[in-house]
Amino acid sequence: MATFLRVMMARLRGHLRRDDLDRDFDQELAAHLAMAEEDKVRRGMTREEARRAARVELGGLTQLREASRDARGLPWIDTLWLDLKLGLRMLRKSWGLTLVGGLAMTVVIGTGAVVFAVFDLVFAGSLPLDDGDRVVAIQTWDDRGHRRRDTSMPDFERWRDALRSVEDVGAFRTVERSLARTDGAAGEPVLIAEMTASGFELARVPPLLGRPLVEEDERDAADPVVVIGYDVWQSRFAADPAVIGRTVRLGDTVHTVVGVMPEGFAFPINHRFWTPLKAARSGSLPDGEGETGVVFARLAPGVTLEGAEAELATLGLLPPAVAAESDEELRPRVLPYTFAMAGDLERGDVLWMIRIVLLAVTLLLVPPCANVAILVYARTVTRQEEFAARYALGASRGRIVGQLFIETLLLAAGAAGVALVLARFALRLARASIDQELSGGAPFWMDFTLSVETVLFVAGLAVIAAVIAGLVPALKATGGQMLSGLRALSGRTGMRLGATWTALVVAQVALSLAALPSAVEMVWGTIRKGVLGPGFAAEEFLTARLEMDRESPAGLADPPAAAVRFAAVQAELVRRLTAEPGVSGATVAAAVPGEEPWAVIEVDGVPLPDGGIFAAHNLVRFNRVDDVFFDVFDVPLLAGRGFGAGDFEPAGTAVLVNQTFVRDLIGDASPLGRRIRYLRKRGVPAEPESPTWYEIVGVVADLPAHATGGTMYHPLAPGQTHPASLALRAGSTSAVTAKRLREIAMALDPALRVDEVLALDEVYRENEVGNNVGALSLAMVTLSVLLLSAAGIYALMSFTVNRRRREIGIRCALGAQPHHVFSGIFRRAFGQLAVGAAGGILVAAFLSYYLPVEAVGGWDVPGAIPAATLFMVMVGLLAAAGPARRGLRVEPTEALREG
Amino acid sequence: MTDTRSPILQGTLDLMVLKTLEQMGPLHGYGIARRIEQVGQDALVVNQGTVYLCLVRLVQKKWIRAQWGTSENNRKAKFYSLTAAGRRQLQAETENWERVSGVIGRVLQPAAGR
Repeated sequence: MATFLRVMMARLRGHLRRDDLDRDFDQELAAHLAMAEEDKVRRGMTREEARRAARVELGGLTQLREASRDARGLPWIDTLWLDLKLGLRMLRKSWGLTLVGGLAMTVVIGTGAVVFAVFDLVFAGSLPLDDGDRVVAIQTWDDRGHRRRDTSMPDFERWRDALRSVEDVGAFRTVERSLARTDGAAGEPVLIAEMTASGFELARVPPLLGRPLVEEDERDAADPVVVIGYDVWQSRFAADPAVIGRTVRLGDTVHTVVGVMPEGFAFPINHRFWTPLKAARSGSLPDGEGETGVVFARLAPGVTLEGAEAELATLGLLPPAVAAESDEELRPRVLPYTFAMAGDLERGDVLWMIRIVLLAVTLLLVPPCANVAILVYARTVTRQEEFAARYALGASRGRIVGQLFIETLLLAAGAAGVALVLARFALRLARASIDQELSGGAPFWMDFTLSVETVLFVAGLAVIAAVIAGLVPALKATGGQMLSGLRALSGRTGMRLGATWTALVVAQVALSLAALPSAVEMVWGTIRKGVLGPGFAAEEFLTARLEMDRESPAGLADPPAAAVRFAAVQAELVRRLTAEPGVSGATVAAAVPGEEPWAVIEVDGVPLPDGGIFAAHNLVRFNRVDDVFFDVFDVPLLAGRGFGAGDFEPAGTAVLVNQTFVRDLIGDASPLGRRIRYLRKRGVPAEPESPTWYEIVGVVADLPAHATGGTMYHPLAPGQTHPASLALRAGSTSAVTAKRLREIAMALDPALRVDEVLALDEVYRENEVGNNVGALSLAMVTLSVLLLSAAGIYALMSFTVNRRRREIGIRCALGAQPHHVFSGIFRRAFGQLAVGAAGGILVAAFLSYYLPVEAVGGWDVPGAIPAATLFMVMVGLLAAAGPARRGLRVEPTEALREG
Repeated sequence: MTDTRSPILQGTLDLMVLKTLEQMGPLHGYGIARRIEQVGQDALVVNQGTVYLCLVRLVQKKWIRAQWGTSENNRKAKFYSLTAAGRRQLQAETENWERVSGVIGRVLQPAAGR
């Protein structure tokens, strides 16, 4: 290895000092010749003889110089450089191929890059802590249900006390509390890690100020204390150096600040507040709200994950205090910490899943690259003469193949570059959506920059793409055909276009034509709402999520009481807000209009269409709204009646539906009095035993306009839904109102959390971003398929023209009209185009009948199929135009001379 | 008439050049080529040009070093000499060669040992 490195260094030096060394070598050879000559003269030869003999013995000087230059320097650098220059020139020259091939490759490599980057983001993270990759999570795992179960407190204690293969065993859970300053300013919801003191030991990060949590804080009688993050210290306490000892109210409890953690510290996930986990009482590790507590630990020095798993298996679980559910099969397991946080997953399964998906992504390269390969092949054929000439001049087949490969590699590299930009963009989107999904932001270990692994993976894809698209056709075009290529210098026999790939071009035309209408409808369906707008002044509305802290006295213990308190607070909040200047209405619903959840329903007397519950017809949005909802949003009643006082009783079955609902599900018949029941809500089957039938009492206008499906509204009495969605009509004063909203809520009940305060148009805009990205990706894919088939037609035409130049020439020379000859020649190609188009129309019609895109969010565009056909034929004609012009310009004399 | 001279075995030229330099001390390319021819008593085909390629390789591996000097008849020539690494390499390769040639010899004359 050392010798190899020495040689490479020497060669690199040799490459850089090429000219010096060349001179040096020439001098050495000159000295050699002179000495040999003298020697031979001394032995009795004439000077002339001696000189000749010396030269013969030394061998060919030119070859020797070449060989020594190759041995001294890095000859392949020169070759590569030359190939790169030639490649770039060729890419510029055949820009059509560059554009089409580049786009197709970008689409697939981009897909691969995004998939890999996301996998890398979610599964490959390691904690940016001291020895962070040795931090693990310990879980109670249900092998049968494939999910995590609550860890019992005795188990946790046993793990903590008995396990030798791990240290710093601790636990945390996340709770949400509304944070108020003691001066009574407005509260806002924050995430708090209730964590054992060992978490700070495990993280090995000392506090910036004060102390971390210690075990004494966990005692029941201990005073409530909190450790705060750097950001909180900066923003809430204005970086007060004397912050230790000040107090902060979280929910109903006042905590004393005992420490400040340094900037960036967010262990265990994304936390800025840490309070002690006072856990030791109950049967299981306390629940976070809806979340099980997490047990973490650090592998002891020298212990592997498997080692810890083995010790844990020996230790096992204690028999549960309460009889386990019969179908559970519990065992403890150890996982890398970040992996455990990614979800309830089996490591082996995930590794397999990743492998399979990555393989699929790689295989995805084949169709577009095979297409590009055909184009490259077709172009290589037209360059036959160039290669034949180079071959005759002594270039090896390897050099020619190498050059063709480099050309496609350049193309693939360009595509890979764009793919990486796309992946970066995807990561940025991921960050935005994670920040939006997870209150508190993304987990602190997630690295949203492009990783080295992603770049390597994309580079690998590019090489594979170049091999398929460049190497294969290059080998095929140069293999065994060089001699006929040489003949092609004088004639035009050369290669022909196989029937297989003629069929492929036809199939491709059919396929792109078939996919085009659905794609257009999909894209339109996706962006339609954003383009047409909500149909009302969404910017005048302010929405917010209302929720109660569950920690509050009336919370967990007594749900009905909590509902009563929430109802009262809610009603009072609406009353006070309506009295605010600038606010012309306030209403409460279960969901923001236009963002309601979906359900599959059945309308009494309307038979379920074929395709059962997956048919688009039965998919509707549902919401629960209070008595003033439609007034505040200015939604007119079109038929029947609105909700009356009696409808708000818990047993009420009255529902209102919107226009689209009626159009899609009922049609011309009268909707009033019809009965509806749920089949599935949010993907979960509704209870089959007691399906409630609801009755349509009225029809309202669509809100927002341009909805993609029907919506049904249930009456909502205060307190019936938790959390609730508040909407305020604040006109132009929404900024002021947002502030007032928080203040009023805080004054009303400190446990009331007001969250996600946004103008309604902002809500819509945020959702449009994802839609637009989706639509754009789909449009890119469609465009690349379309371009590939156009390129296929182009190649087909080029081929025909090139192959039949002589024939055209002769026939023109014999007096035939060029146009006449031309149409005869292209009849076949157009025939193929027609066959492809006809097949495409059939498939498109079949698709639109059996696979309605409306079911997956598309929007019917009338006349899409004829328009797509027309478009495809236009594209085909345009693609054929170039070669056709060349065909018409064939000079008879020239064509004959070539023969 | 058949040519009884043998081409140099692949890889053995390096060994011969190293050995020559060990025996003769610093020497120029022509001297090395002549010396190998003389020792081979014209039984070896030595392409003198390949000696120079071999010298380039050996210099790159730092087994020999090159220096411009003056030849016996006052001509400017490039002299090659063995380095310490080259000496070690020669030692190792000589042993290896002897072992291999011994084995080959035994294989070709299986009766001789009995």
